[in-house]
Amino acid sequence: MNEITLAINDRQVKGKEGDTVLEICQANGIDVPTLCHHEGLSDVGACRMCVVEIEKERSPVPACTYLARDGLVVKTNTEQLERYRRQILELIFTEHNHFCMFCEQSEDCELQKLAYRYQMDNVRYPYTFPSLPVDALSDYLVIDHNRCILCGRCIRACSEVAASHTLDFSQRGWKALVSADLEQPLGESSCTSCGACVQACPTGAIFSKLNLYKGKTDECQQIKTVCPACGVGCELNVLVKDNNLVRIEAPSLTEPRGPLCRMGRFRLLEPTPPRITSPLVRGKQGELEECSLDKAVQVIVERLAEAKDGFAGMISTRVPNETLSLFNKFIGEVVGSDSIDTRDGESYRIISEGIRLFQNNGRGLDIECPIEDILEADCIIVVGADPEKTNPIISTLVRRAVSQRKAKLIVIDSSRDVFPLWTDLWLKPRAGSEGVLLNGLAKILIDKGLVGPGKAQAELIQSLSQYETGEVSRTTGIENERLELAAEMYGWAEHGVIIYGEGLLQGNDASSITTILNLANITGNQVEGELRVISLKPCANSRGAWELGLAKGIKQDKPKGLYLLLADERESEELLSWLKGIDFLVVQTSYYSSVTSLANVVLPSPIWAEREGKYVTTDGRVLELKQVLQPKDGLPQDQEILIEISKKLGHRLS
Amino acid sequence: MAKVKVATAWLDCCSGCHMSFLDLDEALIDLADVMELTATPITDIKEFSSVDIGIIEGSVSNPHDEEVAKDLRANCKILMVLGDCACFGGINSMRNLFTKEEVLRRYYIETESTKNGKIPSSEDIPPLLEQVKPVNQVVKVDCYVPGCPPSSKAIHYALTELLEGRIPVLPSEMMRFD
Repeated sequence: MNEITLAINDRQVKGKEGDTVLEICQANGIDVPTLCHHEGLSDVGACRMCVVEIEKERSPVPACTYLARDGLVVKTNTEQLERYRRQILELIFTEHNHFCMFCEQSEDCELQKLAYRYQMDNVRYPYTFPSLPVDALSDYLVIDHNRCILCGRCIRACSEVAASHTLDFSQRGWKALVSADLEQPLGESSCTSCGACVQACPTGAIFSKLNLYKGKTDECQQIKTVCPACGVGCELNVLVKDNNLVRIEAPSLTEPRGPLCRMGRFRLLEPTPPRITSPLVRGKQGELEECSLDKAVQVIVERLAEAKDGFAGMISTRVPNETLSLFNKFIGEVVGSDSIDTRDGESYRIISEGIRLFQNNGRGLDIECPIEDILEADCIIVVGADPEKTNPIISTLVRRAVSQRKAKLIVIDSSRDVFPLWTDLWLKPRAGSEGVLLNGLAKILIDKGLVGPGKAQAELIQSLSQYETGEVSRTTGIENERLELAAEMYGWAEHGVIIYGEGLLQGNDASSITTILNLANITGNQVEGELRVISLKPCANSRGAWELGLAKGIKQDKPKGLYLLLADERESEELLSWLKGIDFLVVQTSYYSSVTSLANVVLPSPIWAEREGKYVTTDGRVLELKQVLQPKDGLPQDQEILIEISKKLGHRLS
Repeated sequence: MAKVKVATAWLDCCSGCHMSFLDLDEALIDLADVMELTATPITDIKEFSSVDIGIIEGSVSNPHDEEVAKDLRANCKILMVLGDCACFGGINSMRNLFTKEEVLRRYYIETESTKNGKIPSSEDIPPLLEQVKPVNQVVKVDCYVPGCPPSSKAIHYALTELLEGRIPVLPSEMMRFD
């Protein structure tokens, strides 16, 4: 990049060729007002607030789209420019409804701030007062077209950041509106409710119902933490006022783990079931009764002193490493049981068995690649996974690879195409025949020679000999041609990524995972010892828990006693039916639920926002979960309760 | 030195801007030394005589408002408008999204708590204008103090500027639209 020098407001400043005038101004601390510009989004020059004068240009030009050249002479703050800017603001104010006293976004509005800055105390033009619709039927989002200034920031966020391409302009001129799909209500459109548009909107045109009337940005404390909703590990900027969650934002829209999704941005703010605010023990009448922590601990201690046999521990992987480690010691040393598992331990055992069967060389989860690799992909296979449901940011990255890098997308799923608008090829194997299909693909790759030199070893070739394409086609119900097409798409790719998830893990079929690793290995889709394979793990800290060795497995079909540290994980049908029939159940949890109604002792647990510690992302990054709220009613942390019980049993845990 | 004469009027408004003026509290005592309120809703004098400063709160929503605005304009040297309604149309202009017939019908007949409602009509009640207007669309305005209502601090700043012979423009940090 060639360095260039230009004169801005009689000051010599430097920039790089390819920079816009606005970028150079911002890099040099020269203040230029903007409205349709947003960090990380492309510039379109829609609002004209950033107009500057450039010597030899016949009229002012928008700084955001004007490429800087060596020797340019720029003025950003002449009286005429300031007059133009105020005039632009007046025109924007007359166009739609921009009366602040009945707008919730007042004080958090870039348009309002600019009007104050330019002392816009009256408007010299007639207002147009168009009557525009409000779309409030989506789960989380509201679009009020009356507040819209048509800057297009939401549209660019939707296409460039969320890669959803749901929003765009419809109509033209005076009638132009931001629309979802072809003028569909947002709730019925392809919108994924990721909320990137909310964060990008400078006015009150797109906002979330969950943020309303909770507080203004200036009144809030802002704390950066990591998202507890899934294992991707996005950074959250949490806004807190009076120990209440006000809003969750992405610190940066441009980071791959940045834009956030409906789970991180909105669902964490949704109303929860009632909190457990005191220890509870089952009384003589069989009802749960509030009691002191001492009393609850006493009941547990008595039961453990009576019989430790057949006692097991189970823990949610939503809690950070520190809690996991302590729980591991608690069950091992204090309870004296080697029967311990995580809620998602079964998934771990399948994945690790799959990796062991692959080359049996001691590799573990570190054989997988970082999720950022999806952005580099030219072919993506999604098998037995629904990232939009479980890890929406993975789905965003897939869409970005497809829309921005023209990656080919193959979905292997026996029930539905999980990327209906994006898939190049959907292979629909008969349920349960996914493994045969994957092996069939491996065989086609070898037969067609689409493998790296020396990659297909005799042993593998031998084991695949039974997967003749015709046979695979009959078993899976997929035509030969489609199988071959899929193999060629992946085989020719230079940077193919395979993503698998709960669909395969629930199938209890470790060999399918081995085959996936083989596919990546023989085609050379690897870098520095990592295969371009990503498994979607069930919880935010699944990997942390698994690597700490907590997913050993419960030894008995049904333990006699169970200490379940459920934290703020919600109940599931499968958990409930397993818990039924356990003699003595201790549940440490944040919320009342059907699980607590089965428990003999219930202990309180903080929610994600009240905890701190380390999380390990699905691809092995260690991130810091920060405490953003004081625990409700001064409730103790999970560790404090475990330490208290241990003390009573004569153990010193730390 | 003779006191500066001030007259005020409220048009279509909630009177909040006048209340904000009264919120000046003890500062009013000092102002009373240099200015004199003539016709205002506060003194309940309705006929304007010639004054130095005219102040209007509220938007122009009916012919009576128009008359009052024109009358005060004709009787003052400098006209200042107070509040978002007078500056921009404000909350009253929400009705500009509908026709005046729709607005009257909704208010007098269709409200959920109304039974057998009817739209009142009398020579004494001015009809609504088609559109609510800010004051500067009816008469010339010399200076503006936006806010809903403007803070007493902003009103004090504007009055002090006027009393010292300058046309006030609110500094950015005093600007408020709500």
